[in-house]
Amino acid sequence: MYANEYLTGEAELAEYVRPRSLEEALAIAGRGAKPLAGCTDLFPATDRPALGGALLDLTGVEGLSGITRTDRGWRIGAVTRWAEVAGAALPPAFDGLRAAAREVGAIQIQNAGTVGGNLCNASPAADGVPPLLTLDARVELASAAGRREMALAEFVTGPRRTALAEGEILTAVIVPEPAGRGAFLKLGARSSLVISIVMAAGRIDVAGGRVAEAAFSVGACSPVAVRLPALEAALAGLPVAEAADRVEAGLVVPALSALSDLRAEAGYRAEASVVLIRRLVAGLTGGAA
Amino acid sequence: MPDTLPFPPRMGSNAGQPLSRRDGPLKVTGAATFAADNHPEGMLYAVPATAAIARGRVTGMNVAAARAHPGVVEVYTPANRPPLMHDPDEKLGLFGMRMEALQNDSVRYAGQPIAFVVAETLEAATEGAALLAPEYAAEPARVTAETGERYTPERVGFGGPLSVGAGDIEAGLAAAAHRLETRFETPDQYHNAMEPHALVAQWDGDKLTLDTPNQAIVMACGLFAAYFGIPAENIHLRSPFLGGGFGSKAVPTGAQILTILAARELGRPVKLALTRQQMFGPVGHRARTWQTLRMGLDGAGKLTALHHHSTGATSSFDDFIEPAAAASRTLYASPAILTTHDGIRLDTGTPGAMRAPGEASGSAALEVAIDEAAEVCGMNPLAFRLANYAEVEPITGKPYSSKALRECYEAGAKAFGWASRPLAPRQMRDEAGMLTGWGMGTAVFHCPMFPASAEAVIRADGTAVIRTSGADMGQGAWTALAQIGAAALGLDPDQVEFESGHSHLPDAGVAGGSGHTASAGQALHNAGEDAVARLAELASTDPASPLYGTGNAGVLARRGRLYARDDESRSESYAEILARAGKPQVEGTGKGARDPASAETYALQAHGAVFAEVKVDPELGQMRVSRMIGAFAAGRIINPKLARSQYLGGMIWGLSFALHEEAIHDRRTGRIVNADFAGYHVPVNADVPEMEAIMIHEDDPHVNVLGVKGVGEIGITGSVGAVANAIWHATGFRPHRFPVRIEDVLPSLS
Amino acid sequence: MSVTVSTTVNGDSVDFVCAPDETLLDALRGRLGLTGAKEGCGTGDCGACSVTLNGRLVCSCLVLAVEAEGQEIATVEGMAAGETLHPLQRAFIDHAALQCGICTPGILVAAKALLEKTPDPSDEEVRYWLAGNLCRCTGYDKIVRAVQAAAAEMRRA
Repeated sequence: MYANEYLTGEAELAEYVRPRSLEEALAIAGRGAKPLAGCTDLFPATDRPALGGALLDLTGVEGLSGITRTDRGWRIGAVTRWAEVAGAALPPAFDGLRAAAREVGAIQIQNAGTVGGNLCNASPAADGVPPLLTLDARVELASAAGRREMALAEFVTGPRRTALAEGEILTAVIVPEPAGRGAFLKLGARSSLVISIVMAAGRIDVAGGRVAEAAFSVGACSPVAVRLPALEAALAGLPVAEAADRVEAGLVVPALSALSDLRAEAGYRAEASVVLIRRLVAGLTGGAA
Repeated sequence: MPDTLPFPPRMGSNAGQPLSRRDGPLKVTGAATFAADNHPEGMLYAVPATAAIARGRVTGMNVAAARAHPGVVEVYTPANRPPLMHDPDEKLGLFGMRMEALQNDSVRYAGQPIAFVVAETLEAATEGAALLAPEYAAEPARVTAETGERYTPERVGFGGPLSVGAGDIEAGLAAAAHRLETRFETPDQYHNAMEPHALVAQWDGDKLTLDTPNQAIVMACGLFAAYFGIPAENIHLRSPFLGGGFGSKAVPTGAQILTILAARELGRPVKLALTRQQMFGPVGHRARTWQTLRMGLDGAGKLTALHHHSTGATSSFDDFIEPAAAASRTLYASPAILTTHDGIRLDTGTPGAMRAPGEASGSAALEVAIDEAAEVCGMNPLAFRLANYAEVEPITGKPYSSKALRECYEAGAKAFGWASRPLAPRQMRDEAGMLTGWGMGTAVFHCPMFPASAEAVIRADGTAVIRTSGADMGQGAWTALAQIGAAALGLDPDQVEFESGHSHLPDAGVAGGSGHTASAGQALHNAGEDAVARLAELASTDPASPLYGTGNAGVLARRGRLYARDDESRSESYAEILARAGKPQVEGTGKGARDPASAETYALQAHGAVFAEVKVDPELGQMRVSRMIGAFAAGRIINPKLARSQYLGGMIWGLSFALHEEAIHDRRTGRIVNADFAGYHVPVNADVPEMEAIMIHEDDPHVNVLGVKGVGEIGITGSVGAVANAIWHATGFRPHRFPVRIEDVLPSLS
Repeated sequence: MSVTVSTTVNGDSVDFVCAPDETLLDALRGRLGLTGAKEGCGTGDCGACSVTLNGRLVCSCLVLAVEAEGQEIATVEGMAAGETLHPLQRAFIDHAALQCGICTPGILVAAKALLEKTPDPSDEEVRYWLAGNLCRCTGYDKIVRAVQAAAAEMRRA
């Protein structure tokens, strides 16, 4: 159970390890253990009933949990649970992320599932991704070989695929000090405990009655959640009163490459995305759509 | 308490009271033991391996790998499955179904058990099953109406007639001022009781103990016994609690038979607990229907013809055709009514009875069609239903044993505020801009009874024990049946011990068809009266008793005493009577069954009216039910608190039918793609509004001696239509397939 | 391989041995004989296995038993004080908020966690908090009434 012996690389790898230091965790990860960070997707997403191989529980690693403000902005530890995000005292730009946190499954899942787990599982319907994209989030990755950082948009490469290298661990999400206010809307077939048909996140910074900065993202529509640069450019500089009316399909739909599946057809997803975005813009600029 | 309260007319004072459920304390503390909670010493775990194709053969499995996995004790395949004494492909009795118990290598549907792994731990058995990695010779899956084989079944439901009708449909249509033909599709739905099907089998010689949830405890013993060539009495089936049944826990399934077989072969107790995913296939479902309604209407909005045809799906190897058109036989008056059925064979598991079989799917279609008819006639849907109110059962002309449907319409409409409903659709919005609509549906369910028996024993201390093998799957049998027994015995429920929930008791029949309270209740009622009569005989013939000479018909039982019917000052307690007679107890027995004469003379139906409010997002098409009120008339209500639960539960099932539930097959593989609770949606708490169920009293002297009709299923029947009709009223879009999808509604909104 | 786990269950110190990939639910039910928590789905979609871990409401089917090392677990078996039922337990019986009873232990544990955090919830809060606990029978609206009745009683106490 205790992990310091793994630093020497000699002990036989136990089937379950919960190290306290990142150094130990990286040593264990380097030996092929499967990282766990809340386990809410472990059994549902594991093909085989037996988990097979060693399990590396990251939730006890010091410094991987909690949200802190640093000179580079905000640092959300990888094993910070969604319930902590929902209840955290964060600037209004994080309102979308906090709202998304309340939509990750039900309370039981929010109390166990973590930000890092959500990102690494890379489900196309991962609730955390769109709001983090609108916050220009970056991910911090570590392995025994060293550390690196990349934009979240580059980290998630496809459905259940990430840029995570063998033996590498996602240690934190870094959000550069964001401006403005954020919001999140989720469309599902039930009121709660539901996989999204479409979700949309937005962030708008208003200055002098005009949109100074806009960031929008749509998830669950395409293999990977996307930002909407055309829309963002169109909104920038507009008087707030005109912003919601500026939202149109042509600024949203081409970015999506929407998919059909058993939850919804592509056409509906595209249409609904536009509606959700318009409502977000209206809410964030103080008007009603 | 004074002993001089007026005698209630027919029942004792405790039947009719809203008692809290007797099993409540066990259930809220976690002490109630469900089948899967049993862990006998030395127990092994069984896990079925299931087919990933929908039709074809298994050509190979890596049995060696599974056997070699640590902890695996035995792997059964068709190659080594020990013989059974009954062929799994032969039906048993009225309710038995063909099953898969490894009789050969064929695959008839995805999810079918194709091998069976037994191991020391659940994890080992599960991994062993995965290691089998079966190979198949697959044939194209037939899981759509287009690819399935159309056929004409012999019967529908459990032995019901294919076609029932009276009058000339074509003449009725020809004479009509308006004609309407409308088609509906209902989906595959899975019972999904929260408790997965579980069974723990333990053999002791040729005696078998089974811990398994079952809705027909004694009948099931007979079915299980047939596969093992033992007398039914050798089986002790214990089913004190069922974590929901809804029709899926009455007849044995292949995996259960294999579990029992493995326990015998291996000489150790074996437990089976299906996973949620494994419950999509081998344990029944409500099958798809394709329904057509043809209606003729005269200028006054009265039906001149009603033809309801339903095509039901069943499996390729067994027959259960949803008797959906039956809903149209009894509800609305028409000079010509015809209800017909046929079937389509698909590569799925065999469907079966699921909460309100027939009526749920059938009334979903009928109630929408009736609203369409009202629209054609420019009438308020309630006025239209009243204009076509059946004063006698339309096809047979029989009077109803009782029918307070008019009162249900009235009470429900009043509580809902129906009178202010605009006639045209898309007239209402709420303060948030949501399109708002009001809809209604008529609820109907027949009142079957099953043969049941019971015994009642009055003991020396004046208390009693009553016995019948009743099944409480949540409906409240432990409580309502005890109330009936206690009432017949002239005792408070607290003074009556109720032995139930296992097979070494008199047969309580089937807990299904909403008939358990009536059937087992009547048996208990008669047993209680029999025991009282024996006690009265003792007192009446004893010169030392104040009741000497009354004769056993000359007494009444109340609060543990017998009273002379014509002189209440003459009375004696049960304990005194037994003490002087030197007897430890008196015993009574009773039976419950439908009186054929009343079934011949009367139409026996429960009725209700459901009103729903739905809000629809005008841009997104999202639908939410925001209000639901039902009013039901189902004869005498034994326990209003628990009956209300049944009504509300049924109404939520109706909401779920209308908006959520659907198993979706992959057309290519034949597999169900949403075979878990993440994909197969049932409503969550946040989907359900505040609701009310109003109870309309009916005094029914004909339906049975208790006047009980049954409340377990009727709540679904009007509710699907009420929600669908409310969607129309909100949007102008008329749903014709269920569940109603956002994509269906959306085009009408733009 | 098996692992020894030292934990506290309903206030009692408990040691048990389990496999590393065994769920907390299986350990509670199979190893500790605490069968109040039920398995309804095994995928965190029904809430029948709800317990609290250091006060956090979780699905025990998604927690590894080894994760419970050094933690405090609370299950439905710990809710009543001896013979005295918790106000929620009484309210559920009084309001007929349970039927078959399989989902009931999980819902009670979840409702207790809610009232500890939010003693005076709105109906809406109750409905969303309990959205992770499916009831198929289905007693949803009565469950909300029962939770509100218990909450009111607990606020008075």
